Amino acid sequence: MRKLLLIAAFLAASPLHAQTPIPTFTEETATSGIESSFMGDWEYMVGGGVATFDCNGDGFEDVLTAGGTAQASFFVNTSTAGGPLTFVRQTSGLEIEAVSGTYPLDIDSDGNIDIVLLRVGENMVMRGLGNCQFERANEAWGFDGGDAWSASFSATWEHGQKWPTIAIGNYIDRMQDEFPWGSCTDNWLHRPNADSSGFAPPLPLTPSYCALSILFTDWDRSGTPSLRVSNDREYYKGGQEQMWHLAPGEPPVLLKDTDGWARLRIWGMGIASNDLNGDGFPEYFLTSMADSKLQTLAAPPADGTPARPAYSDVAFAKGVTAHRPYIGDEIQPSTGWHAQFEDVNNDGLADLFVAKGNVDKMPDFALHDPNNLLLQNPDGTFTETGDKASVASMMISRGAALADFNLDGRLDLIVTNRRTPAQVWRNTGPLDGHWIGVRIHQEGPNPDAIGGWLELKRGETVTRREITSGGGHASGQLGWLHMGLGNATEAQVRIIWPDGTEGPWEQVAPDHFYLVSPGAPPRSWTPG
Amino acid sequence: MTAFRRLLSVLLLALMLPSLTMAQTDDRAAFAYQRWYALVLELVRHTPTYTPPVASRAFAYVSIAAYEAVASGNTDLRTLAGQLHGLEPLPARDPAAIYDEAIVIQAAMADSASFFFSNTGPTGQRAMTAMKADLTERTSAGVDPETGARSAAFGKAIADHIIAWSMDDGGATIVNMGFPLDYPAATKPFEWVPTSAIRQQQMPLLPEWGTNRPFAMPQDACPLPPPPAYSEEVGSQFRIEAQEVHDVPGQLTDEQKLIARFWSDDPMLSPTPPGHWVTIALDQLALEDAPLDRQVEVLAKLGITVADAFIANWKMKYEYDLLRPVTYIRRVLDDKWSPLLITPPFPEYPSGHSTQSGAAATVLTALFGENHAFTDTTHEDDGLPARDFPDFWAAANEAGISRLYGGIHFRSAIDLGLDQGRCVGDFTNALVTRS
Repeated sequence: MRKLLLIAAFLAASPLHAQTPIPTFTEETATSGIESSFMGDWEYMVGGGVATFDCNGDGFEDVLTAGGTAQASFFVNTSTAGGPLTFVRQTSGLEIEAVSGTYPLDIDSDGNIDIVLLRVGENMVMRGLGNCQFERANEAWGFDGGDAWSASFSATWEHGQKWPTIAIGNYIDRMQDEFPWGSCTDNWLHRPNADSSGFAPPLPLTPSYCALSILFTDWDRSGTPSLRVSNDREYYKGGQEQMWHLAPGEPPVLLKDTDGWARLRIWGMGIASNDLNGDGFPEYFLTSMADSKLQTLAAPPADGTPARPAYSDVAFAKGVTAHRPYIGDEIQPSTGWHAQFEDVNNDGLADLFVAKGNVDKMPDFALHDPNNLLLQNPDGTFTETGDKASVASMMISRGAALADFNLDGRLDLIVTNRRTPAQVWRNTGPLDGHWIGVRIHQEGPNPDAIGGWLELKRGETVTRREITSGGGHASGQLGWLHMGLGNATEAQVRIIWPDGTEGPWEQVAPDHFYLVSPGAPPRSWTPG
Repeated sequence: MTAFRRLLSVLLLALMLPSLTMAQTDDRAAFAYQRWYALVLELVRHTPTYTPPVASRAFAYVSIAAYEAVASGNTDLRTLAGQLHGLEPLPARDPAAIYDEAIVIQAAMADSASFFFSNTGPTGQRAMTAMKADLTERTSAGVDPETGARSAAFGKAIADHIIAWSMDDGGATIVNMGFPLDYPAATKPFEWVPTSAIRQQQMPLLPEWGTNRPFAMPQDACPLPPPPAYSEEVGSQFRIEAQEVHDVPGQLTDEQKLIARFWSDDPMLSPTPPGHWVTIALDQLALEDAPLDRQVEVLAKLGITVADAFIANWKMKYEYDLLRPVTYIRRVLDDKWSPLLITPPFPEYPSGHSTQSGAAATVLTALFGENHAFTDTTHEDDGLPARDFPDFWAAANEAGISRLYGGIHFRSAIDLGLDQGRCVGDFTNALVTRS
């Protein structure tokens, strides 16, 4: 037997570097006008998303929250630039029950943002009519909403298509009461129909393993996104994490161990992606219960040869396991849901927010589980600052969005909670770092350039983010792409468009918003 | 479909007949008992704290509650009170009153399962609630309400007695899924060190489990000699065994890889090693259409011996505190080496699966006989095909060697683990269950 000598090194959190600024978030829930709770029992133990998007063209991102057994709620953003966060509930046509997840997407490429509602029951596509009004479009677009417990979403435009391909991840067969385990229902792939007027009947993505987050992502930079699927091992049998390869016009093909895909089985609940190490390939953060994962390509090719989908878990090494509450007196492990990489302190490094909350009074897991705000340090490690930044809510959180609601160049935060009101925080700095905000637009199909890449150059440093639709946990965003610049006083941006065309590097001034379109220099945009 | 599930289907049809006969009362009781066991096998898998030692404890207590519920009304069975450590005489039936056996066992199972899986998630809770309602209705149909109420109260009293007995055995409270927050760091080269990049598993699982109160065996029973002395010297026994593990991945046949996966029995992804043997036993009982008293006897003895096996095994694990093959091999032989299976987060010697499989084989051989051939269907739902065995020891030996194929145990841990299991099983076999 051993003598007592604590393994202190394993418990020590990554220290905060002196040059890593901690932002201050000021909670403005009470005055924000956001009043929404995600309600319901067993069939709503997952989900609870929030969508942020600008549907009235004023540049300020509006908010849609899932209500579960209550109606979904839409709030128009009435904030002023740099001011407090204010929203007003507005009837939008989205006031629908049984919604678990919400994702914005301009499906018909008409310039009006549409909404996909994931539901316990029939999913709905809601056509944007302009000025934040929406109507059901399932029949008009040939979208078969099915009847399932839908929990995850992602979209892409496959090469040559005028209409998006939508993937929807489904959960347990909710009709099974005594033996629901092993009853994962098929995920669906809604591809365009033959004449590009809408959707073809959905294709089952068999086998399916209770997907709680899915994301079309160009993991290997081949130019053809694959579908990354994170599955909840609580309910599948014989399952694992998945990646589907989608060649245009071909049936989806599941990657196998012979491709290099290694079996990983977690309580997968949310996906966030970002090229953290600057090698051009995205890293993937996967929320789970207890340890979360941070996957990086085990052997990223540097010579243009095809990448193999073999990943190493570097969560422990980078300090992002987020496995246990970091404040309070609970010692049980955490439960992670929505995750999002964004630069919240404008130091030029992507940080990580994780929404936390017990599934439903599970005593083996923390009942008071603070959300995480993990700031990235210059050496690539992350340090927990959720308490110092004042976003360590102990509510039972599910969905979330980091977005610049008041267009002051600092990312604010909204978090949805199960059975209790959503919370809103304004990022009140003080932050010395610079930033830019970018909205991308192209004419024709896929106006928001889903599948493209935004790259930012500061001196010799290039940071990049993939323009995706989906992932997280039941929560989607379509709006300004925020990039911190640190102390750089000049920067260049370029877009790699979804068809692979590399736009030119264009000079941008710090602390500005830009509208970027193909063949034209970035146009500066000012709120109001 | 497993034999156990086929039997459940047959019993469900039998229960649809309109009037109650004695045979149907037996069918009702057996149906309730087996439905609960089917659910318990799922709950073990889907309750995160149920690592193999914790799972073995739950199986033991639930099976004993069921055994005592049946034994209280069956003159052929003898109570285990006075035979199991700390188990005081259980509530007795009113000799002048009538009891419905189906309602007694239903109440005992509902109460004990609800308690021993009280920490399962919302889906497990929902399933238990649904099953309790369903089986209460089924077992109560056609029964005099006064008899029904008396029977339900008695079944619950039996379960409550078992629950109270369980509370001070040392294993009742599990925090952080069994991983301590502090643990002494390794200071000697032979000592266990973490083998994964999982933050929670930087501490070893359940280091105090070996001090739990055993069921049938004496405290600290079945000790083992130390493993081969740690050495990095060429030609040393330790290095020879490490070299054997190192060489395995390149030599494995497809069949051997399948064997490694078949007995992997990962917690939260399978019914765990204890549940694997419970599944085997349920299938054999279904095939022989065993009466309820036989079923509860077999599962109680199996539950007891596997739980004792984990206590004895864990005692040795933390006594000898040996490093895993992956640690030694990467340190001494090959820094790029990886095992086929994920290395469990606790010391190596002896192999837990070997000990519990040896104990299970010892007890099941005594109950079903030598040369009892069977088919193991445990993992069919997970896509692993059934495997045939000529007897229980063949399965136990395969479970043992699977850990070498998987690259997570040295040979000594397997061989001596099986020996330890045999020792544990002998104590269980000494229990007197029949008058």
